[in-house]
Amino acid sequence: MTILLGQSLVNAILLSGMLALVALGFSIVWGVLKIINLAHGAFIMLGAYVTFTLFNLYHVDPFLTIPISMLALFLLGYLIQAYVINWVIRAPLLVTFLLTFGLDIILINLALFVWKGDVRAVGPAYAGTGLTLFRDPLTSQGIQVPYVRLAAFVISLVLAGLLYLFMSYTKLGRAIQATGQDKDAAQLTGVRVAPTYALTFAIGAALAGAAGSLISVMQPFDPNMGGGYRLRAFIIVVLGGLGSIPGVILGSVLFALVDVLVGISPLAPLKDGVAFAMLVLVLIVRPTGIAGKAFY
Amino acid sequence: MKIHLLVLLSLWVVASLIAGCATPPAAAPAAQPTAAPAKPCTITFGAAVSLTGATAKEGEYVKNGYNMFIEDINKEGGFKVGSQKCTLVLKIYDDESNADTSAKLIEKLVTEDKVNLLLGPYGTGPVFSASAIAEKYDVPMVEPGGAGMKIFTRGFKNVWGTLPAAPNYLNSAVDMIMAKDPSAKNVALFIENDSFSQEVADGITAYLKQKGLNLVYSEQYPKGTKDVSSLATAAKAKNPDIVLGASHLADAELVVKQAKDIGLNAKAWAFSVGPSTAEFGTALGKDATYILGVTPWTPAMKFQGQDIYGTPQKFADAFKAKYGYVPSYHSASAVATMIAFQKAIEAAGSIEPKAVREQLNKLDVPTFYGQLKFSPEGIIVKPMGVVQWFDDGNMYTIWPKEVAEKDFIYPAPAWDKR
Repeated sequence: MTILLGQSLVNAILLSGMLALVALGFSIVWGVLKIINLAHGAFIMLGAYVTFTLFNLYHVDPFLTIPISMLALFLLGYLIQAYVINWVIRAPLLVTFLLTFGLDIILINLALFVWKGDVRAVGPAYAGTGLTLFRDPLTSQGIQVPYVRLAAFVISLVLAGLLYLFMSYTKLGRAIQATGQDKDAAQLTGVRVAPTYALTFAIGAALAGAAGSLISVMQPFDPNMGGGYRLRAFIIVVLGGLGSIPGVILGSVLFALVDVLVGISPLAPLKDGVAFAMLVLVLIVRPTGIAGKAFY
Repeated sequence: MKIHLLVLLSLWVVASLIAGCATPPAAAPAAQPTAAPAKPCTITFGAAVSLTGATAKEGEYVKNGYNMFIEDINKEGGFKVGSQKCTLVLKIYDDESNADTSAKLIEKLVTEDKVNLLLGPYGTGPVFSASAIAEKYDVPMVEPGGAGMKIFTRGFKNVWGTLPAAPNYLNSAVDMIMAKDPSAKNVALFIENDSFSQEVADGITAYLKQKGLNLVYSEQYPKGTKDVSSLATAAKAKNPDIVLGASHLADAELVVKQAKDIGLNAKAWAFSVGPSTAEFGTALGKDATYILGVTPWTPAMKFQGQDIYGTPQKFADAFKAKYGYVPSYHSASAVATMIAFQKAIEAAGSIEPKAVREQLNKLDVPTFYGQLKFSPEGIIVKPMGVVQWFDDGNMYTIWPKEVAEKDFIYPAPAWDKR
């Protein structure tokens, strides 16, 4: 029993790091551009395929591909925002909704065309190996900490920390924050809104790319993988409160804990349902999210 | 500029809405899909198969099966209908792995394209809805990709399936393990929350009980889940001898990957869908070794058939020459549906639905796919074979014993001892 709970706790902590990375990009795009980017899942999927391609063709270590997939997604995100979404950025929410939904379909089908519908996995030699923290002398079972997940967790935290520093202490980051708070006021103080939006969207896409690269090492995936992550990102952002980096992390920890604990309980088949119930509950009790404040 | 774009966008939305409504379900069943064969006789088959979406890969296997058979049979002049030979034409659409789309396309095939007979889509969901349309218009459909019993328990007269029934999927794997090691008693079962996998799980749960094994852990996970590590953790606490999965390909891979992460060990591993496709080995590499899959057909099986291919090996060779890869059972099953039609039409001497239906119900012919014979509900009567992945990165047929290429390796070593 202790092993079961201990293992679940470890699972939850490691999972929360990865989920935070999944949700971060979604959160800043929503917070600053005020658009719900339905193509976020497709960006994650593209990140996974960048890693898959580099690993398979050139045997690049999956963790070393993270900067590459981030850069690729950064460029793609910048172009998509500057040349597609920017046209409708001031239109009602439904228009950007439709547009990003369309982008999602296009990207998924492009991926189906390029990589086919096969289920892929990235399996470096060290996949599946890990530390055993505590070994029960009777059953010789222990708490496993898989190296891959541990590394993914650390990388997620580092990226979240870098984003936090960037947003709080650099001129560009503060311009992004200002634009998110009030784009007209930001414009009056000399912030160029259009490039700031494009930059924000690009950062969001780059984070999605990093998340995709990490996920590719942990789970089998296909071009349709993104939808589930988009949903998780949405729940986490609402849980934690829109537009705050610590909020996203808090939301991820909560989501991961519920996900893992429900997973070992008899409620396991209702995992997704419980996550949504949690979402509804938070919206009723505290519509700004748990750590949210009227910031953006 | 912005307004301009908005106008365009809304025009596009309106246009696509209109396009969506352009194919409304015809008001009354038009019972005319069987135009009498004209002089240069052709038989038109219609099919909607998943070429994109979640089961795009399986859909492609099915489509390749259909196309290959049509090409090969047309070289011999086609089907013999009465005294003349009729060439075959196939009209195929993409159902996007979506059950509703599948039904819509079948409706279009029958009412607009006026196909004579229907072939099935892939997947229990699409087959379930597509066959309802076939029934509505009274057009026979033989389908290669739906094994759920719920397709066959609605009293329909127009659907036949060439995959063995879902509840029996894992039985042969359990039989084989029991034959090898009667002391393996404790079973953990992972169940995908999907209509097909539920039937597999219900079937095997009853079978385990009947055989006196203990189901020490049995849990469902949502369809399309990304994480089963908590289930693996809970199963590990029960120390199972056998891990079974009522699954599809992606989740079977996920269970194996995360079982290794968590250190869930078992002496035997078997999944309903997944390990019997080549991709399973490509995706998991060495971790696929020792895992068992069930399949109605492999090229190694020894059947002697009265059809254009004759044996599984000959079919596999012809398929590989054409498409460059060894066929999986999906393609073989697709070809089997068309052979079922061929035999029924030749026996009936007609493509009238009523006559074809009668002959399909009576069908009992040996083929490269095994004996083609349907139960009264319309599902093929056929046992499953078992395959196992070996160290050399290939899977081999290991059951039934008569056609085994290799011996069953048992037990599978613990993950950290490999």
